[in-house]
Amino acid sequence: MTIKSRDAYIVSALRTPVGKAPRGVLRNARPDDLLALVLKSVVGSVANLNPQEIGDVVVGCAMPEAEQGMNIARIGLLLAGLPHTVPGITVNRFCSSGLQAIAYAADKIRLGEADVMIAAGTESMSLIPMMGHKVVMNPKVFESNENIGIAYGMGLTAERVAQQWKVTREAQDAFSMESHRRAVTAWQTGEFNKEVVPVDVEDSVFDAAGMKIKTTHTNFTRDEGPRADSSLESLAKLKPVFATQGSVTAGNSSQMSDGAAAVLLMSEEALKRYNATPMARFVSYAIAGVPPDIMGIGPKEAIPRALKMAGMKQDQLDWIELNEAFAAQSLAVMGDLNLDPAKVNPLGGAIALGHPLGATGAIRMATLAHGLQRRKLKYGMITMCIGTGMGAAGIFESL
Amino acid sequence: MEQPFLFRKVAVLGAGVMGAQIAAHLANAQVEVVLFDLPAKEGDKNAIVLKAIAGMQKLEPTPFSVKAKASDIVAANYETDLEKLKDCDLIIEAISERIDWKADLYKKVGPFVSEHAIFATNTSGLSLKTLSEHLPGHIKGKFCGVHFFNPPRYMALVEIIPGPATEPRAMDALESFLTTNLGKSVVRAKDTPNFIANRIGVFSMLATLHHAEKFGLGCDEVDALTGPSIGRAKSATYRTADVVGLDTFAHVVKTMSDTLPDDAWHSIFVLPDWFKTLIEKGAHGQKTGAGVYKKVGKEIMVFDASKGDYRPSAGTVAAEVESILKVKNPAEKMAKLRECKHPQAQFLWAIFRDLFHYCAVQSEGICHNLRDLDFAVRWGFGWSAGPFETWQVSGWQQVAKWIQEDISAQRTIANAPLPNWATESTRTGVHSNEGSWSPAAKNLSPRPKSALHARQLFPERLIGESVEYGKTLWENDGVRVWSTGDDIGIMSFKSKMHAVGNEVLDGVIQGVAYAENNLRGLVVWQTEPPFSAGANLAQVSEFLAAKNYTAAEAMVKKFQDASQALKFSLVPTVAAVSGLALGGGCEFVMHSSKAVVALETYMGLVEAGVGLIPAGGGCKELALRAAQAARGGNIFHFIKQAFEAIAMAQVSRSGEHARELGLLRAHDMVVFNQNELLYIAKQQAKAMSESGYRPPLKARDIQVVGKGGIATLKMIIANMLQGGFISEHDAAIAERTATVICGGHVDGGTTVNEDWLLELERSLFVELLKTEKTQARIDFMLKNGKPLRN
Repeated sequence: MTIKSRDAYIVSALRTPVGKAPRGVLRNARPDDLLALVLKSVVGSVANLNPQEIGDVVVGCAMPEAEQGMNIARIGLLLAGLPHTVPGITVNRFCSSGLQAIAYAADKIRLGEADVMIAAGTESMSLIPMMGHKVVMNPKVFESNENIGIAYGMGLTAERVAQQWKVTREAQDAFSMESHRRAVTAWQTGEFNKEVVPVDVEDSVFDAAGMKIKTTHTNFTRDEGPRADSSLESLAKLKPVFATQGSVTAGNSSQMSDGAAAVLLMSEEALKRYNATPMARFVSYAIAGVPPDIMGIGPKEAIPRALKMAGMKQDQLDWIELNEAFAAQSLAVMGDLNLDPAKVNPLGGAIALGHPLGATGAIRMATLAHGLQRRKLKYGMITMCIGTGMGAAGIFESL
Repeated sequence: MEQPFLFRKVAVLGAGVMGAQIAAHLANAQVEVVLFDLPAKEGDKNAIVLKAIAGMQKLEPTPFSVKAKASDIVAANYETDLEKLKDCDLIIEAISERIDWKADLYKKVGPFVSEHAIFATNTSGLSLKTLSEHLPGHIKGKFCGVHFFNPPRYMALVEIIPGPATEPRAMDALESFLTTNLGKSVVRAKDTPNFIANRIGVFSMLATLHHAEKFGLGCDEVDALTGPSIGRAKSATYRTADVVGLDTFAHVVKTMSDTLPDDAWHSIFVLPDWFKTLIEKGAHGQKTGAGVYKKVGKEIMVFDASKGDYRPSAGTVAAEVESILKVKNPAEKMAKLRECKHPQAQFLWAIFRDLFHYCAVQSEGICHNLRDLDFAVRWGFGWSAGPFETWQVSGWQQVAKWIQEDISAQRTIANAPLPNWATESTRTGVHSNEGSWSPAAKNLSPRPKSALHARQLFPERLIGESVEYGKTLWENDGVRVWSTGDDIGIMSFKSKMHAVGNEVLDGVIQGVAYAENNLRGLVVWQTEPPFSAGANLAQVSEFLAAKNYTAAEAMVKKFQDASQALKFSLVPTVAAVSGLALGGGCEFVMHSSKAVVALETYMGLVEAGVGLIPAGGGCKELALRAAQAARGGNIFHFIKQAFEAIAMAQVSRSGEHARELGLLRAHDMVVFNQNELLYIAKQQAKAMSESGYRPPLKARDIQVVGKGGIATLKMIIANMLQGGFISEHDAAIAERTATVICGGHVDGGTTVNEDWLLELERSLFVELLKTEKTQARIDFMLKNGKPLRN
């Protein structure tokens, strides 16, 4: 049997603003509520969309437990008011979960198995700690040197990348400051306006003075992470966290964050049926493995694969969303692949905008799809490194 | 019957350095406390107080017993919160030392102070009589002075001073509260300028300044001479001024100068010009980063008056003088200091002489008896002996004669003659078991015998007083079991620093057996701190030198047996702890039926420092407690805390902190006054015995996290090692710690018993003992008294 592949199109991509974890605006917001909000928003973006047609809702989440456990995809879509006939699946590939969800959703369309799909990502790092509430390592991890990298914290792997690729502290700090500068400017010039769905944040806390439960509503409209006052001096003062003689600090690492995003995908047939205008076409997606102890270098392997699948050259890319897990690994990848710094994260990256793990891929899809359109550019890519040693890269064509 | 004074709620007025820290200490003591200051001009009205509370959380040494205490202080301001004063039982005013400011405040708060409340001013020397004139009538009968020393958590002394109309029972109630609930050592002073401690202590500093100039000694040289080498605080003279604040010090000196115009020593109640210049330049000491000393990079610089600038601090004690200071016999030492022509020796004799002279002449006016004076100086300034104690131990008659000679020769600062009592030909001193001399009453003043004082079974002693610690019931070379006449035994260790060696282990095991057969309870208490510095490493080292690991393992086994004896004793065993309780000492506390620990208790399982793991039951006990604490929930959460406590050799910063570290249990108690420790521990032992005490049963089903837990801790260790935070050997120790507290390589969630954990502990301890690096750590500790990182 031969399968004729079709194209998958991105019709809508919307995200929440990203909150700082664990003490930001979204500190008490449930990740399933955030998910329901973005799902409703993308469904609402196409007039008369028949929800029965949604083949599946694929949701990325990196620590799928507790408030974001129990197959959050299914819970989120039901809370969003979608009919029970719409299925949902949670996927986990750590930091690329959101992008992976888009790729799976696109594949269903490309295979002809669905005409309408939703991909999403959601993560609350305020509510669920890195590695989850109960961490139990497998003793066999320590039986071989190849696997011991599994036990290394992400920051330590960044230190190892910084060391092996000779990325200096100064370069990392400068890169980080630029990330903040770009993000602050982007917000000032309204670049993010169309991709963001405001969140009505409801907090209920005990008010001792009034002896009552005080419920407040905050209209959350902008990312919390970008700092207008970031400076090389203040960044230089921060102490390395993961190694005594290291260079990786809280200032040149991605921020812990809360947030969600959803993407509505359609086949060409569905586009016609609904008279919908596509934003972008899914071009290719690749994933690759690298040693766990230098996981940050992952994109270096994934990017050429995605380009090869697409039959493209690197210089055809106009915009690269390279997730800034750490300045160290971002610079190492950019250096080895000779990526143009001007094209990488033109609106800032995770160091400024935050990195709600499994949601990030979908969040940056919103940024890329809107950005390419706004600036009338053609090809864009989303790429990231992944814990335990992987890299992911997806290419999209703006229409 | 009159209403008793109850201290449910206390207000502190003024959130400055002293007020805020007094409030912190009240919070430590679980007293409801409201801290007041001026309303902030903008924003939150309580911003000034909130800022002070936040500032204290960064202060070292910390004013709080545990971090969470900070949130127990209620912030308030004089504008919107005066109503909160109405139900306060004690109000401590601690604003700046300005009579006009205090008077204004009294006017403002007066109407809100309840009839029953004690109103106390934390002044360091203003006249109570003058201040009381500014108070509304209903307060005067309950108005007094309460003078804390900085930092109030750590400095023992509080002077209390009655005003002209203070009811005696208010003074008694306040003394009880300060002593038992806040753990302070209280001295009752008279309403004379600067009271006792500051009057004498500041005089001593001024006399030191005076003679330093006369003998041409630099500030650093003076500090080298007037610190620990003569039994005084490490901060000596000038560094003390830096800590106090040069401006504050100048203020205290000015008060002395203004209020004591007829003092025969008045001529030295001034500060040198260079001192004033420093203050004008804003060099106010530690709080401004520069004073007499300042730190430039890593170098300590000292102000040199002759140059008018700072130079590297280098002051040392001359070899000739140093050898005199090492003389054991105090009388011989004083004689040699006086004879020696070296300016440093002459300077030391001069400051002792003038201090003795001043105290002899002024004591009649400022204290009730010389015990109060000596204790005030000891507790307020951290001296190991008060002026009269030093005089007495140096040979009363001889020193008195020398002082008189120097007065005649006009070598003293003032020429007032020594009072008659000081020169009586039969006098050998001022302190004895019969009491201390009272120059005012012209008789011996015996130790007070109130119910409050009866709680201190063995109060702090002065030179000249002797003590007998009860009747021996049983003893061996390491341990003495004795009693004060009832059927609660007291076990005290005989070893240096109360280290635990073979003879102490034998003593504990046999002593507990003796108690089971003959007594109703056993308190483990040392006649002086520390509780125990840990295992006797010298003995361990001997076994290592002989490569006798069998003997070493036998000792560890005995350690476990001793701990288990304390735990499973049929009569209650109560550990009464103050000061250090490290390693094996900590394990004994953990295994007692109950621990009664002083606020200032520094406990920890610090074996990692010498390359070992706790093997006197410490690891076992933490594993057991983790399983109990989890109550069916996530055990690993508690195991991780236990792991950190052991692997990082954490030492508690207070008794309450020891509970946070998991070293104390919910039923263990923290008491504030270490002098009451033995009394309270005995009461607890009695009560437990009366309640039909039964020891716990040996645990047979301890749920452990097993190999998954070990692997997860190994993950933490791998990150620490790769990040360069720990050495390979640290990692080896930490992995063994992990193995024991996780119960060994069993499946997570399965159960083990107490004996299995003890066996694991013991075998992994011996494994480490056999390593070269552990042996190097032990040697290094024995030679240098500090841990080796290898």
